[in-house]
Amino acid sequence: MEEKLSTVAKSFTPSPIQELSHLAQRCSAINLAEGFPDFPAPAHIKTAAVSAINSDFNQYRHVQGLCDHLALMAKKMHGLDVNPLTDIAICCGQTEAFAAAVFAIIDRGDEVVLFDPSYETYEGCITMAGGIPVFVALDPPHWTLDPNKLLQSVTGRTKAIVLNSPQNPTGKVFSNDELETIAGVCRTWNCLAITDEVYEHITFENEKHISLASFSGMQERTIITSSLSKTFSVTGWRVGWAIAPALIASAIRNIHVKITDSAPAPFQEAALTALRSPPEYFESLRRDYESKRDYIVKLLAGIGFKIEFKPQGSIFLFAEIPESCLLSDVEYVKELIKQAGVVAVPGRGFFHTNLTMKKISQEDFSYQERYIRFAFCKSDTTLAAAAQKLGELSEATGCLKLHPSDT
Amino acid sequence: MQVQCTWTFPQMRFRHSTSTFLSLSKHLSESFSVRIGSGRGRSCGYPSFVPTMSTVSTEKDTVSTPSESIQKTPQPLQDVAELGVSLVLLLLPSRESSMGNRVAKRLEKFKTTIFTQMSNLAIKHGAINLGQGFPNFDGPEFVKEAAIQAINDGKNQYARGYGVPELNNAIAERFKKDTGLSVDPEKEITVTSGCTEAIAATILGLINPGDEVILFAPFYDSYEATLSMAGANVKCVTLRPPDFAVPINELKSAISKNTRAVLINTPHNPTGKMFTREELNVIASLCIENDVLVFTDEVYDKLAFEMDHISMASLPGMFERTVTMNSLGKTFSLTGWKIGWAIAPPHLTWGVRQAHAFLTFATSTPMQWATSVALRAPDSYYEELKRDYMTKKAILVEGLEAVGFKVFPSSGTYFVVVDHTPFGLENDIAFCEYLIEEVGVVAIPTSVFYLNPEDGKNLVRFTFCKDEETLKAAVKRMKEKLMRK
Repeated sequence: MEEKLSTVAKSFTPSPIQELSHLAQRCSAINLAEGFPDFPAPAHIKTAAVSAINSDFNQYRHVQGLCDHLALMAKKMHGLDVNPLTDIAICCGQTEAFAAAVFAIIDRGDEVVLFDPSYETYEGCITMAGGIPVFVALDPPHWTLDPNKLLQSVTGRTKAIVLNSPQNPTGKVFSNDELETIAGVCRTWNCLAITDEVYEHITFENEKHISLASFSGMQERTIITSSLSKTFSVTGWRVGWAIAPALIASAIRNIHVKITDSAPAPFQEAALTALRSPPEYFESLRRDYESKRDYIVKLLAGIGFKIEFKPQGSIFLFAEIPESCLLSDVEYVKELIKQAGVVAVPGRGFFHTNLTMKKISQEDFSYQERYIRFAFCKSDTTLAAAAQKLGELSEATGCLKLHPSDT
Repeated sequence: MQVQCTWTFPQMRFRHSTSTFLSLSKHLSESFSVRIGSGRGRSCGYPSFVPTMSTVSTEKDTVSTPSESIQKTPQPLQDVAELGVSLVLLLLPSRESSMGNRVAKRLEKFKTTIFTQMSNLAIKHGAINLGQGFPNFDGPEFVKEAAIQAINDGKNQYARGYGVPELNNAIAERFKKDTGLSVDPEKEITVTSGCTEAIAATILGLINPGDEVILFAPFYDSYEATLSMAGANVKCVTLRPPDFAVPINELKSAISKNTRAVLINTPHNPTGKMFTREELNVIASLCIENDVLVFTDEVYDKLAFEMDHISMASLPGMFERTVTMNSLGKTFSLTGWKIGWAIAPPHLTWGVRQAHAFLTFATSTPMQWATSVALRAPDSYYEELKRDYMTKKAILVEGLEAVGFKVFPSSGTYFVVVDHTPFGLENDIAFCEYLIEEVGVVAIPTSVFYLNPEDGKNLVRFTFCKDEETLKAAVKRMKEKLMRK
């Protein structure tokens, strides 16, 4: 029956990282791996959802008000003129918005440029649609974009560039110059862009999230995807959207309708309430996450990590293993689970081998096994508990004392 | 403080093992060798077609959807090129700058504008809507309460990708009760955003481009569209009135060793037909003989009125090759919650889960918890559901017959199809327009459910998933205004 699987499905394999997941579960480890909060969602939004269920908003639904509000926000945040009747598709989470966008524009053989390291789902989606993912490595330690690397990766077959900013896993917020570089390439090569902006409201210090679509010549070729999940701590509600020029938005809606037909109805209603949250909500969201970020930076610095790059946004910190420690990322996390009772994500899964670049540039890619992603979207209690556990393992020098174990 | 680890997402599933790395790398290096040979100036043959995309709505649109324009002409890009850039452009691959050809070829098959037209007309004329396939009454309190409880209990974050364990267990229990089959909730059940997504994930996970898949027409509109997304080669076997029986000989010549899968919807939308044991046996033996998979859409299984619902998976030799799909929406009148599932042996489930992970990744958490409560509803719930629907059906069918339609027997679902030709309109779309404009009632023209629309032009579909007052009012209007010509 193996032959019954599609070629694409067969190319995906379950990962040895799953073993770590099971190990973490067995050890009841403190979870700094998963990208979702362990604190409650905002009360006013839950109330809105409950009210929607009670008011019988439970059948298939398209909530135009949601589109209206998204258009308003696009104007306010990015100066974009979006037609709420034609330019927006409401989907089951950003995941589905992205999948529908990919299926809407990618034909077999189309190349799609992505920035490495990157969230893993993009590649799988592109491959499923018959596209060819092409990775451009961002340069550590600050994950800067080298325009030459980008230019070398674009060809006549490049259909689109995928941009996730603020970025998972690095927490990087692409700078104005970098965005301009990407925009320039899109314009010159007549590529489309698909953005994942789920962390758009989680930026720190004076960083402001700028949408690629707001650059000259970009709105007409950009599909913006985002969702409620991270902004409102409701990752389980599955309400997301795509904003794109009418023709493409229409195509995305067509696809979405065939994939799931409708995002959960009561949560679309609740989304209206969520998006109407006062500015104070968004400010306190930023403040809270910033302090959590600072806390975890300090905590990791205290156990020997040299945090070269402090996240500028998102809910993740991508930390390089201390030089003195010779373990790989997987080994380190394994020990972290077993000895410290804390779990994080080995970074290697976010990197993709780009063989041609390796041959041409002779660059050293060994750093790809030296990073660990920590999520700080956790309650203060969780973070404090993690700090305590890790603190217990510190040597006098303050470095985490990990001994590779036998099993 | 210890938090339960539910490490569930694709970002955890890295291709770490070297063997997979090699196969991946090979894939990448193939594409790179193509690239290195090319460069700027290589012309790429993008098709110059301009798809006439319309903003689509399906039968699922509420009446309150604002009108959307039917046709959209693509706007050409305004390339404001400076001198330097324009020189570069001369060297670039010749590519139309219009947005028209940016949209994927697979969308050529996405054609449903009819529901948009009908919805718009319906609003304009204040028509009673017996077209939309969803109730105008709400789901049961105990299920809604369970969802509210889940939200308030903080069950608002990502669920395990293939389903909240409670729900997988409840689905397994229900399936056992319904079919006698024991399935492993961990390995053989995948929760999806509605049955629509179960279908999409099954097809994208298990069908290769060029694979032959057999559909029975008329069919629910997402099947053909999703199959075209997967690049499948669709073959159609048409079910015909009056009983929409499976034409066995036609089926026998359609299925061969080249067939990858057969898709069965029973009870069947739009006709209300239920596949009999004899029909399923024939299909089963053909599938076993030719090593064909079966995908079944059984969302109306609890609305089985004239005979018992039979799951293909329960026939001898069939579980190992069948994906059985179902959902919450129709059984519990909560069509907007989007909770569905696919039950299949582990090797097929694996394919479904791969696709699902990239389509939606996880399904609405609070609704999953509520569904686990719903599925444990006592027998009395299901009995009452059937009784209610049978009463509604009687109102509609008696009314339609009295008005002069030829009504075909419908054994299940909440649909009936009727022959409208006694009224002298040229085809199903013309009839539906007339019905909205002159009578004030909405039905759905069934030609959209066929590969060849001609096959459906004499038929229209009515639904009775409406409260009794609505049904009676619609019947009254038809009696008053629909004159037999």
